[in-house]
Amino acid sequence: MLTIIYGNAKNSIYNTSVYFKNTYEPEWLETDLAKEMIQDIDGSEVISGGCINSPVLGMIPPERLSGGVKTLLLILNEPDRIFNASTCGDNCAKWILEIGKQQDVTINLRHMMSFGKDTKFEIVIQNGGEIVHSMEEMIPIASKYLNAMEQE
Amino acid sequence: MKGAHRVIVESRKVKYDFIIKRNITILTGDSGSGKTVLIDLIRENREYGSDSGVQVSCDCACRTVNNEDWERQITETSNSIIFIDEGNRFLTSKKFAELVQKSDNYFVLATREKLPMLPYSVSEIYGFRVSGKFHEARQTYNEIYHLYGEISEKGVINPQYVVTEDSNSGYEFFAELSKKRNISCVSANGKSNMIASLRNVKHKKGICLAIVDGAAFGSEMRDVCEYMKVAGNVVLYAPESFEWLLLSANVIPAVQVSAILEKPEDYIDSREYASWEKFFTALLIAQTQSNPVWAYSKRKLPGAYLSAKMTGAVKKIMKRIMWDVSGEGFTESSQKN
Repeated sequence: MLTIIYGNAKNSIYNTSVYFKNTYEPEWLETDLAKEMIQDIDGSEVISGGCINSPVLGMIPPERLSGGVKTLLLILNEPDRIFNASTCGDNCAKWILEIGKQQDVTINLRHMMSFGKDTKFEIVIQNGGEIVHSMEEMIPIASKYLNAMEQE
Repeated sequence: MKGAHRVIVESRKVKYDFIIKRNITILTGDSGSGKTVLIDLIRENREYGSDSGVQVSCDCACRTVNNEDWERQITETSNSIIFIDEGNRFLTSKKFAELVQKSDNYFVLATREKLPMLPYSVSEIYGFRVSGKFHEARQTYNEIYHLYGEISEKGVINPQYVVTEDSNSGYEFFAELSKKRNISCVSANGKSNMIASLRNVKHKKGICLAIVDGAAFGSEMRDVCEYMKVAGNVVLYAPESFEWLLLSANVIPAVQVSAILEKPEDYIDSREYASWEKFFTALLIAQTQSNPVWAYSKRKLPGAYLSAKMTGAVKKIMKRIMWDVSGEGFTESSQKN
């Protein structure tokens, strides 16, 4: 099940790129799901756990994957932590839903991510305990919590 | 800082070429589109110069700031374009918003966060996409593109009710236009109330026209556009600002601002005006203050602005919106963006 915390979330990892650089394991890139996500979002092919073939940048280490892919790999491989998924574009949303089908994960969103106008899902909004099944249900609730987000 | 500045960033593998013309520009959109690559290239050029293998071409300095000591770096920089990537917590801080709004630098921020304390324009929210232009086999050209237009509808629309962001003069004006058409007009009382206001009228039949000041509505644009996708009956009209519309109407006696309206970026100093909305308000007030009939006030709209001459001229500017006919919804030729 996927759970979302909108706005400020205590103990969430905000800078997922730095966290990824210092914590990732090469094995994370070698699963079928990781390879599919990297191909879909970055258009890149995993050669090994330490090398990816990018159509733009050539052979790159995992640290140079897109911010969205790095966050997806963190959500997938460290499900007990909460990551800032506003580092993910809408092209990552379907993969977040897929990970949420496979295991219980909680993400932090600080923007209105689109999970697809016609997509059906089941997501728990931790802020108020609501369960939403579509963007139509989600948008007013997410908007309320995002507008209430305190600026530091 | 004033003016439009062309930025070209190029390595052997990738090239960017775009123009920055306001104090705040937002880079957002899909993952993997090249936002971080751009900022990394600018940082490396700044740190290592020609040793970096990166060429940066611009008529002002392009630089990045990092998380450590960011306040000092921004304060000590002037007449530069400052690029900041996501992952820096200070982007959402009050202190950062304060520094940006009185800075003589332009800021390019790669982020998906709303940043409600920064008055940025819907016209300066961009994504990147790979372009076929200048195609070379070994180099990818990343083209910048507007995510949002002035109006969310390509065809002509026939609104059945109106929601305005503004609660004062702008609301008064559009309430008058709506009254003449015998349709209702309500104020959202501020940009962050727009979705709640649109939900209040969602049960009504026909097209709802939402009118906002585009020059400062950037932080809400994403949320409202996602709402519009699921609601299906809302059209968003986002001119620079209500005052920009009045000035563009070009009917106020002795007010000649066409040169300014053509290239506002050449006249608007980022240190004086946090947004173009504030500039156009100040401009209209300054240009009309000695005219007892047309002296503009944001709180209460003088009657002259509701004259047939002014309303007719504004309707002409809002050319895709049918104010003078009855009927429902979109015309046959209309298409959603």
